[in-house]
Amino acid sequence: MVTRVPHRSLRPRRRLRLLLASGAAALALAAGSVVPGNPLAPAPTEARADDGTTTLTVAVAQSVDSLSPFLAQRLVSTSIHRLMYDYLTNYDAKDNKAIPGLATAWEPSADKLTWTYTIRSDSTWSDGRQATAEDAAWTFNTMMTDEGAATSNGSFVGNFEEVTAPSKDKLVIKLKKPQATMTALDVPIVPKHIWEKAGDFSKFNNDKDFPIVGNGPFILTDYKVDSYVKLKANKDFWRGSPKFDELVFRYYKDQDAAVAALRKGEVSFVAGSPSLTPAQSASLENAPDIKVNDAPGRRFFALAVNPGARTKDGQKFGDGHPALLDQKVRHALFMAVDRKTIIDKVFQGHAVEGEGYIPPRFGDYFWKPSDGQKLAHDPAKASALLDEAGYRKNSAGKRVGKDGKPLDFRILCHATDPNDKAIGKYLQEWWGDQGIGLKVDCLDNVSDPWYAGEYDLAFDGWSVNPDPDFVLSIHTCAALPAKAKETAATDNFICDKRYDELYKKQLAEYDPAKRADLVKQLESRLYDTGYMNVMAYPNAVEAYRTDHIASITTMPSAAGNIYGQDGYWSWWSAVPAAGASSSGSSDSGSSSTGVLVGIGIAVVVLAGGGLLFAMRRRSTAEDRE
Amino acid sequence: MTTSMEKPSEPREPELGKPSGGPGKAAPAPSPRALTRARRRQAVVRFWQQYRTHRAGLVGLAVLAVIALLALTAPLLVGAGSQSVTDAPGGPMEAPSGEFPLGTDQFGRSLLALMLWGTRVSLTVGLLAAFLSVAIGTLVGITAGHFKGWYATVVMRVTDWFLVMPTLVLAIALATVLSRSVWTTILAIGVTTWPTTARLVRAQTLSVESRPYIERSRALGGGHGHIMSRHVLPNVMPLVLAQTTLVISTAILTEATLAFLGLSDPTIVSWGGLLQDAREAGAVSSGNWWYLAPPGLAIAVVALAFTLCGRAIESVLNPKLGVSR
Repeated sequence: MVTRVPHRSLRPRRRLRLLLASGAAALALAAGSVVPGNPLAPAPTEARADDGTTTLTVAVAQSVDSLSPFLAQRLVSTSIHRLMYDYLTNYDAKDNKAIPGLATAWEPSADKLTWTYTIRSDSTWSDGRQATAEDAAWTFNTMMTDEGAATSNGSFVGNFEEVTAPSKDKLVIKLKKPQATMTALDVPIVPKHIWEKAGDFSKFNNDKDFPIVGNGPFILTDYKVDSYVKLKANKDFWRGSPKFDELVFRYYKDQDAAVAALRKGEVSFVAGSPSLTPAQSASLENAPDIKVNDAPGRRFFALAVNPGARTKDGQKFGDGHPALLDQKVRHALFMAVDRKTIIDKVFQGHAVEGEGYIPPRFGDYFWKPSDGQKLAHDPAKASALLDEAGYRKNSAGKRVGKDGKPLDFRILCHATDPNDKAIGKYLQEWWGDQGIGLKVDCLDNVSDPWYAGEYDLAFDGWSVNPDPDFVLSIHTCAALPAKAKETAATDNFICDKRYDELYKKQLAEYDPAKRADLVKQLESRLYDTGYMNVMAYPNAVEAYRTDHIASITTMPSAAGNIYGQDGYWSWWSAVPAAGASSSGSSDSGSSSTGVLVGIGIAVVVLAGGGLLFAMRRRSTAEDRE
Repeated sequence: MTTSMEKPSEPREPELGKPSGGPGKAAPAPSPRALTRARRRQAVVRFWQQYRTHRAGLVGLAVLAVIALLALTAPLLVGAGSQSVTDAPGGPMEAPSGEFPLGTDQFGRSLLALMLWGTRVSLTVGLLAAFLSVAIGTLVGITAGHFKGWYATVVMRVTDWFLVMPTLVLAIALATVLSRSVWTTILAIGVTTWPTTARLVRAQTLSVESRPYIERSRALGGGHGHIMSRHVLPNVMPLVLAQTTLVISTAILTEATLAFLGLSDPTIVSWGGLLQDAREAGAVSSGNWWYLAPPGLAIAVVALAFTLCGRAIESVLNPKLGVSR
């Protein structure tokens, strides 16, 4: 057989060299990325540019779903809408009480069914026209008549009979039934003369003609999908112009990258949504010119139980575990969860132990279970409850039902949320001790199985508004889907008669104290059902550069969050620092040791590789001619 | 690539082979089976003698032996409880110390123990995925080389399609669609990395099938199955073996990549998973190098060891790659 002889041993050696070179390159890259504040990075950008304009850059992790107030549902988009458009009312940064926004005054009629708002005369759209009651009436009417415009805020107008604007400064809303949330209508009012031409509201994303006409403290000037949103200060804003000239929301998919950008001064603020991890906040606390804001959050973090998914007319669907229909099982599961460990280990103190449904930050509505009612951490009692429910341990230590099937649950977890995964690990062990199996299903998109009712348990969490109506409404029977597997307002298919009665009562109650009392009864009922088990109230952990931002308002102002407020207070009130530092002072001692360590590792590996290469050369030297 | 590769061992014609060093005329002629066994033993010895001359290959083998030993003895070395988050002994993200030589993770578990446990997953997934990949590749390669005609055309176009598709993208797509488990990862890697093997094996099959003894076998009534399994397969085996060792390192790297991208079962500890955990815990921006460096280095070392072994095997089995005889 004829075989051609190729150049000998050329190929493997070249390959090896390539391998070494690429290894070294990879290591150098890794060292560069591991090490914060690395010296090769460009000089920090400053809050104050050469021409004197001040820019506040905020790193956000969430991408904008839509810039249309009729469609937007994500926190980042609704936060931006707070800046672009004025709402009828606003919340006081101090105590969350309703204060004037576009409306200066409001009053219900004696029969509680007609509300009259006085619209201010000193608010103008950025194209020079005056913002009037006509705009507000048009906004509400559009949401009431056009289904495409009701996507995000439709729940507010469901009970509206008629909205009219008898004069420029009068807005009259007639209701079908009394509604307690009339001073908390979180609906951006849009300019009628622009939006009339928008066409199909379910497709119009409001991101074509810049700058976008608005009347809020900032005017949106530019937007690029998953890249940035730029706003400039509205100098004519009736409450006064913001102090920063420009506000930029820049998209960082990776929180670590955002933190590195903050260290270098490329951004002034890292949004706490998702919160900074304990390791990140601990390392930032020691960094110069950076302040970490660790404040009670407005979220709850709960263990939701699928109560058997069904439609409004009672048609069942999904495949939730039948054992969970037993209240004893639900209580036992939650009793086996050590909430204190979750706070200490997973949140490392950056959270408060869960009690009722509404976080303690909203003091008026915060409710705690009484001693007899509380499902405290008690594994022995949990075992007893499970025995009582008919799930006894078999010889292998697994709990089996009367049909002999082992008790195995699935839990839906957000693959993007490290806390979900971490708590999933704990649950596996705690419930494993009880003889219950758990499969942690981490998905990028949990919505599909969620709406289809194809889950047993799920990690759940909502941001609570100063008015709790919305987070309460998502557990009513009315929120159930019309058709199986359809998107609906319901959170996890809860439909409880007693809950619904209480919900209706609180919505019709105009006396704040009485309403708060009803809301607490609601929370108590929800707690007893065992369908929503609140494990923790995570803190909002966010950080900003003090050499860019001299001062900023938190909400509540005593101890509160900055990003994702119910209002525009933080960005409107932010004051640029007098002289932004010019040098890369962010290189702390620890990071330079990090550089050294990184370089050290690279050197060691390179030396090892070199040695190997030399040996390889030596071994082939005899073969070479 | 030139297809003519030569295999050191002879084609299977045992009746012609002489038992080397056999006792001679006194004893009755040894049975064909004993002859085959003796010949195989000899081939192994010869292979080892040649392998021994490759120092890099020996280093790789030694490293692999140590790692395999660690993986197998992990339960004895660090105990089964070391993966538990509820009885984690340390504080969160501790720096290396006497008690925790590689520090701790965010739950307070010893990273050294997790590294050892991760060895098992990374090796298992790497090996199984590589075997799956090579098995598919061999099957496709041999049948395409043997049957030719429209079948080969279709199969090889499919192979080409898989070859030009970026492996990682395809694996990510698969891992996203299927539920998250170790088997998904193995499947995703296995079904996306076979085309190279298929091409190699097909080339070797074509060259083997052009040999006269195949024609002889066919004339004697050997069917497709017989020729493929008894004549072609043994002759492509060395190539397949070398290819497997090389594919393992790719598979381990891909497994780590998928785990790092969060596409593997999050409750299983693997090296890539550790890197992902580290990233999620914010170890990168807070400079906790002890969390990031060891899994990364471990992946690099194992991949390198398999590559060194694979290269050595390849050069022993393939005389064209320039090996001292």
